[in-house]
Amino acid sequence: MIKKIFLIGLLLVIVNIGLFAQKVYSTKVGQIKFFSTTATEDIDAVNNQVDSKMTDKGQVMFALLIKGFVFENEMMQEHFNGKDYMQSDKFPKAEFKGVITNMTTVNFAKDGAYPIMATGDLMIRGISKKQSAAGLIIIEKGKIKSKSTFKIKLKDYGITGKDIGSVISNDIKITVEAKYE
Amino acid sequence: MNKKNLIVAVLLLVVLGFAGVWYFIFYRPTHHVRDIAGESAIVVSAKDIVKEFQTNESQANTKYLNKVAEITGEVVEAKKDQTGKPTVTLKSDDAFSNVFVTLRGDKQLEVKGGSTITIRGVVTGFLSDVVINDGIVTKE
Repeated sequence: MIKKIFLIGLLLVIVNIGLFAQKVYSTKVGQIKFFSTTATEDIDAVNNQVDSKMTDKGQVMFALLIKGFVFENEMMQEHFNGKDYMQSDKFPKAEFKGVITNMTTVNFAKDGAYPIMATGDLMIRGISKKQSAAGLIIIEKGKIKSKSTFKIKLKDYGITGKDIGSVISNDIKITVEAKYE
Repeated sequence: MNKKNLIVAVLLLVVLGFAGVWYFIFYRPTHHVRDIAGESAIVVSAKDIVKEFQTNESQANTKYLNKVAEITGEVVEAKKDQTGKPTVTLKSDDAFSNVFVTLRGDKQLEVKGGSTITIRGVVTGFLSDVVINDGIVTKE
């Protein structure tokens, strides 16, 4: 009898582990780009050292270092990191933590591009805001990739340099592409 | 004659002025490459720099951010990023927090398990790893 109870107990534990086990996909070399366009100037920069983790249950995070953004133009990079814009000495990181709300629609076993919606908190320059973004989870030969493009308003994050609104646009387009392992 | 000389001198100054503006505003910012090998660097081991960031991140940020560090450590793995640039991870005492380096160029490191190398690069900060960009290998 005791043995039977023990076996049933053991079985329940195993089933539970099976139900709650989640796969974690991660990368340290995700890519995030941003793009600003005005009549005067186009500005873009890329960061290829983005840390990202995603579970098959839909939990997702991205973290990057502001100083990891590389510009074609060194002077722009200095201004970007400087006190009028990102103040990256004081605020070295940006981070998004959230959930993909419709992860159940993604079939990880079948190749395809699945539209998803992510929502969570985006922290830039020490300021955290709710942010939602549409994107894709792309499954290709068992490899998993996330993609998204969304816009943020610079003033939401307290970025108020004098060139914003003239040389630099008020809204910045962010593009995310991360291949997971 | 004197007047002519003056005009020539003024013209020369104007030309030099334009050349200077062109060079510093337009040419240099898009062509200058940071001299990672030649800059003075903070010499540190992979183990110690990770410890410094774990112990006091803001202090380590003040010390290292945007500076060139010369870091020696044991290679955990060498890979490529999404754009094909080589990356290398140097080991610390904490398995979850190492030194992650993106190297310049496209040469993939020939990594022998547990080999020790020295790199130089710009410290961009601390995520789960201490992150280095624009790296070069100075000793294999």
